Amino acid sequence: MTETTRTLKVDFKKCIKAGECYYNHPDLFKATESYYPTIVVSHPSTATEIREAREAAEVCPSGAITFEE
Amino acid sequence: MAADGETMELDPREFDSVTFQKDPFPIYRRLRDYHPAFHDRFHNRWILTRYADVDAAFQDNQSFDRAIYDPDGDYDFGSRHIFGPNILEYGNSPQHRWLRNIVAGQFVGERLNVFLPIIDKIALEVISTFEKDGELELIRHFSSQFPIRVISNMLGLPREDEEMFVRWYQALIAGLGFGGEHLARGIAARNEMWEYLEPLIEIRRQNPGDDLLSRIAVAELEGKRMDIIEIKGFVALLLAAGGDTTDKAIANMWYHMLYTRPDVLPEVIADPELWSNVFTEMMRYDAVVHAQFRRTTREIPLHGEVIPKGASVILYLGGGNRDERTFKDPDVFDIHRDDLHMGRENRSGRYKDGKPGHLGFGMGPHFCMGYAMARQEAVIACAHLAKAMKNVRPKFATHPGITSPSIDSGGFRSPNELWIEFDRA
Repeated sequence: MTETTRTLKVDFKKCIKAGECYYNHPDLFKATESYYPTIVVSHPSTATEIREAREAAEVCPSGAITFEE
Repeated sequence: MAADGETMELDPREFDSVTFQKDPFPIYRRLRDYHPAFHDRFHNRWILTRYADVDAAFQDNQSFDRAIYDPDGDYDFGSRHIFGPNILEYGNSPQHRWLRNIVAGQFVGERLNVFLPIIDKIALEVISTFEKDGELELIRHFSSQFPIRVISNMLGLPREDEEMFVRWYQALIAGLGFGGEHLARGIAARNEMWEYLEPLIEIRRQNPGDDLLSRIAVAELEGKRMDIIEIKGFVALLLAAGGDTTDKAIANMWYHMLYTRPDVLPEVIADPELWSNVFTEMMRYDAVVHAQFRRTTREIPLHGEVIPKGASVILYLGGGNRDERTFKDPDVFDIHRDDLHMGRENRSGRYKDGKPGHLGFGMGPHFCMGYAMARQEAVIACAHLAKAMKNVRPKFATHPGITSPSIDSGGFRSPNELWIEFDRA
């Protein structure tokens, strides 16, 4: 699996601004002024990034975050 | 403006009074109106009570640190805490985030959804122990039993040992608020529990399953697992934080339906979906937790004062939740209020309906980890209780009310007892 095929995405139509992603995984996500997330690392590559990306997708309350591996 | 005869002066010793423990709301209002950034020189701390200020301090985690101790300082973490080394002491450090994320995911989203049928089943099991009696003392017979059984299931502890856990839990909780003999019994219970847990933790370290205890036992940070003392501290904390708060939330919801707004109870019984609104409004009106503590990392200019760097700050979310600047008629318990976000909580506190959320779980980075699970447990339990108890009513016409042993010690708000009568099926 190459680095660029692993992709972290947010579906803003689904997002409810719960904040789980940017508060729990600040290395991967940041909050914007409107409290929506913005992605910092689109293609997680290190073991830690990949673990955190999986976790973020799994616990997102609205199912807005996907991590394609 | 000051009403006639109302005093603007605030004697900090009022915070130690029985009046404040029982009914802190008039003092919160005086603080909001006349001392929005109050320097309590007697207890050497600063106090914030307006909604906007409490929210802003929660959100600005860099300026208002959750940690009391410096992670690189001399303090031996866990040495002065009943739960041993635990997540509550670590503040903003990477250690805190790591510990938190080991368990946080278990209580939200899909992982919580798959656990809902078990929550449902446990609620019905506990109800079956008293549903033929025609009366119950809600705290003893239900609320101090139910969340603790849920969390012990989640941890993967043997179901046949649950009775023991309920006993340890009750002693542990009693030991938190009152000191003296209660504290001694609490510590004895904790030690018994820790002894019991040790072999179970060992088994999971060798051969982990998919339960929460396994997850805690084998989690690694930079190739290192938690030691046995840290694991036991974590479990004790989860039992208390996951059990006691939800326990008290359920009691408070029933208290408000039986005594504060008995006129609304029939409507809620007819439409169990409304328990969700009861939960939300309870968390605003008089949440289980009223105070959170922070330490400033810089000077904070606010309302004409300057809070110095390194100051202790109390965020009275119980005060912010009654702020007239945010909520109309804040002292009315109204499950249909249109100026409060009524649905599920967000950690950000920012909602698409544009309405403010209650502050009962905090806000921002240190928002209550178990928020989604607490709401589910409380709403499921209340709906099942309401269905099982026909013609439900308070056993006594009057009630001494909701109180807390000490709000400032983190003492949780709840009625001490809540006797309920209903028609025998």
